[in-house]
Amino acid sequence: MVSNKMKERILEKDQIKQFHEDLARYYNFYAPTKVKGNFVFKKITNPDDIDLNYLNSKTPPKEILFPRMETLFTYKMDGKEIEIEPRTDLEEKNIIFGIRPCDAYSFNLLENFFNFGEFKDDIFLKKKENTIIMGLGCNSPRSTCFCTSLDYNGHPHRKDDVDIFLTDLGEKYLVNPISDKGKAIIDKLAWLSEANEKEVQKAVELSDEAESQISTELDLENTADILDPNFNHPLWGEVSENCIGCGTCTFLCPTCTCFDVVDEVDQYNDKGKRVRLWDTCQFCQYSLETSGHNPRNSKIERCRNRVLHKFSYYPKNYNMIGCVGCGRCIQLCPVNNDLREIIKKINLIKNKSKKEEVTVA
Amino acid sequence: MLSPYIPMLTTIKSIVSENEANDIKTYELVFKNKEDEEKFNYIPGQFGEVSLIGKGECPIGIASSPTEKGSIKFTIKKMGTVTSAIHNSEVGDTIGIRGPLGNGWPVEELKGKNVIVIGGGFAFSTLRSLIYYMLHEDNRADYKDITVIYGNRDCSEILYQEDLMEWEKREDIDVALTIDCAEEGWDGRVGFVAPIVEAVNPSPENAVAIVCGPPIMIKTTEAVLDKLNFQPEQILESLEMRMKCGIGKCGRCNIGEKFVCVDGPVFSQAELREMHGDR
Amino acid sequence: MVINMGNIQAENEEIQKNMREVARNLLNDKKVDMIIGYAQGTVPLSSSPIFIRNVEEVDNLIWDNLCYVNLARYVVPPLTEFVDNEKVNLKVGIVSRGCVARSLIHLAKEKQVNTENIKIIGIPCNGVVNRRRIEKELGEKEVLELSVSNDKVIVKGKDFEKELPYQDYLNELCKTCKVKSPPMSSSLSDVIVGDSLEVTSVEDDFADLVNFESQAPDEKWKVIKELLSDCTRCYACRQACPMCYCNLCFVDQNKPIWFGKTSDISDIIVFHLVRAMHMAGRCVGCGSCSSVCPMGIDLKIINRKLEKIVKERFDFTAGLDLEVMPPMMTQKMDDSEDFMLGEH
Repeated sequence: MVSNKMKERILEKDQIKQFHEDLARYYNFYAPTKVKGNFVFKKITNPDDIDLNYLNSKTPPKEILFPRMETLFTYKMDGKEIEIEPRTDLEEKNIIFGIRPCDAYSFNLLENFFNFGEFKDDIFLKKKENTIIMGLGCNSPRSTCFCTSLDYNGHPHRKDDVDIFLTDLGEKYLVNPISDKGKAIIDKLAWLSEANEKEVQKAVELSDEAESQISTELDLENTADILDPNFNHPLWGEVSENCIGCGTCTFLCPTCTCFDVVDEVDQYNDKGKRVRLWDTCQFCQYSLETSGHNPRNSKIERCRNRVLHKFSYYPKNYNMIGCVGCGRCIQLCPVNNDLREIIKKINLIKNKSKKEEVTVA
Repeated sequence: MLSPYIPMLTTIKSIVSENEANDIKTYELVFKNKEDEEKFNYIPGQFGEVSLIGKGECPIGIASSPTEKGSIKFTIKKMGTVTSAIHNSEVGDTIGIRGPLGNGWPVEELKGKNVIVIGGGFAFSTLRSLIYYMLHEDNRADYKDITVIYGNRDCSEILYQEDLMEWEKREDIDVALTIDCAEEGWDGRVGFVAPIVEAVNPSPENAVAIVCGPPIMIKTTEAVLDKLNFQPEQILESLEMRMKCGIGKCGRCNIGEKFVCVDGPVFSQAELREMHGDR
Repeated sequence: MVINMGNIQAENEEIQKNMREVARNLLNDKKVDMIIGYAQGTVPLSSSPIFIRNVEEVDNLIWDNLCYVNLARYVVPPLTEFVDNEKVNLKVGIVSRGCVARSLIHLAKEKQVNTENIKIIGIPCNGVVNRRRIEKELGEKEVLELSVSNDKVIVKGKDFEKELPYQDYLNELCKTCKVKSPPMSSSLSDVIVGDSLEVTSVEDDFADLVNFESQAPDEKWKVIKELLSDCTRCYACRQACPMCYCNLCFVDQNKPIWFGKTSDISDIIVFHLVRAMHMAGRCVGCGSCSSVCPMGIDLKIINRKLEKIVKERFDFTAGLDLEVMPPMMTQKMDDSEDFMLGEH
């Protein structure tokens, strides 16, 4: 896809306003901004709201293309007749500006998941097709980041999953066009000055420096193999002991995609819509059947399901680990249930044969 | 790309009550759009996500056989919000369907084999679809002996009584009905499904057993089939889980890495033993 | 014993030492089978609830000003019960600051907790630091270490260090706390070990609500809307609250569906306000709900306002006395009925 290499550009920090103005005309421009003290991705109308001075956003940018609440279709009723109207806004063009490499990779994961199998999720896929991703390298990873431990060659300055890549050089950004889509945008913004050798070199140094700062290292090479035969290991009782069963780890995970579907009715106007809402396997009603039977009846099963889903089922189904290493679940769990500790405990288990399985009380 | 979330609209053509308690009814649905009907190619064992638009959706096994043209039948028990709302519907009302979903009974692999269909209670609907399919004149020759064992709590609960009477008259299918406890006016077999299976004593040679019913019935029947030397690959079951999207995207129906709505709901005993998961 | 050494760090060390001693004795004398307390968090600004079954593990128990989870949560449904293999209920010791003990006492009154199976390990709490406020104010810098010294909170990061006034940076609810140690009344002498306070009622001027109360209704509505607008419906607040022990929460019911589950502002407000009503006369002001919220929503205004209403109408404060029946569980003939429309 990379034809001829295009020279890097410079975007001065006081030029961001111009950048936004030129692009917001044709694109829904999403960028991180501070809302009541939390960094979140929002559609920007006033470029002064853009704040790239952040470690990572509280809520993951998946909510731009896979929002918390999303209409699947709307409908109108006329006596016994029903008319269904599908979404009409999926062709809108989007830019996600200033996203971290781990979150940018999460969009790959999400696209892979929604595209998998016989049924494709057209809503997400259409939006993703119409989205340009502009990443921003992490110069200062958090202590909870572990993108380098994962199987996708994660790196605080990874450029593979974006269309344009920015590196913060201090008073300006180095702008790296990566994909053809990215190059087309840079072409349109002819006022961006070209970068010089020193600036390009500084970006490389910052990238190496960032990598050396990643303090969390997890050994995930054998984890998937250890997990399968140890389904009933007592470790799951230990690691789920202080879990309180909220949805924080899953709602704030860039790769969690489980959703609930409800019908919302405006009965006075004979219309309504079917929406999907974020849901989580950590809630006890998630798998509760109408008969009353619940396959995952206690938090032991639910905690286990989340870890297995990311580190065992994902590799089995899609050949990739379902985690990007952003560290949000570690940082935000209210009871400090630390995924890193869980992985370490899993790695300590020696493979048991199926006959030695111990059932958890 | 047509959205897999948008239901096709159908009209209720007829409603038949299947039991005395009147909480299990078979709905016959006709597609409003001829193209939808042509696209809806299903095999027995598959299910559809049935919508009462405004109330919600639920996954229901298809009770009609693909050989019955012109309409689709669903047998629905009144249990939750959506099913109760469907039970309040009348002929002429609109119902949405998404489907066909799931993997269905492996009708191709069953060819040339003796098929033993074992059902319990209300779970018989997709078995009806399978039996109708196999008995159809185009298909009957492909299958060897067909044995049906169907148990219920009492005779007021037996579904598809007209179909069963037709089948009992036929030479090319053996039907054994049973109810749990003896009742006045019932001169058929009495007993739970598992001991009746043992009494019928089907041979495992070149046979496949299809088991569908409440969890306890499945468990006891599995034990009997094991005793009769059926191998795990010869036993097929249809699982139930809570489902929402039915297309493997919402995540909740997983057993291990498999989704019941996409990789199932039909699994062999051999596959189920390999699956580590909660169910 | 009230420890007031004017030096928070010294206080913490003293509290920690005493708490471990009590815990050790309880386990050695087999008065409890298990102790629930706090361990050092693996992430800055956090602590981790732990479950200790052997004396050797007692030194994992800590007390610092980041022990924000209300441990009473772990002994009520719907979390797993603590039973042994013969299904006999285990005796549990719980590290309790004042509000945690008050939760346990109130839960005992609501018959959710059996005081025979609980030992409240009382500690004289000197406050919980407002971790969300610190994170929000420092925003783009990661806090790697938090310590207290004298009366200051010191936050350190990779290339910064900042001192913050301790009293100012406590949780909002800690600032108005009147019951720092577990309340002790005669019937509880068996239950409480360690530090406790003789208190059966509290005086509270609710001065922190004056600002909110002085506003016009539509202003108040705006405040509430603004407060709750970025709620993600993760229910961490509900799950962390020991009083939320319903097996099926009202938001999850679907026969019938009472309220929407969406993240529309109207559904969010309904969830929080209805839950607050369910807390009336039961909330002990532990602040767990606000500490665990990933978005940093501070529910203190709503909870304090309800606490005030209950105090004014029924002269009742939750969790102080096992002898007193909570007003929401009883009806007296002289209960105030000023909500009834009269025949004027």
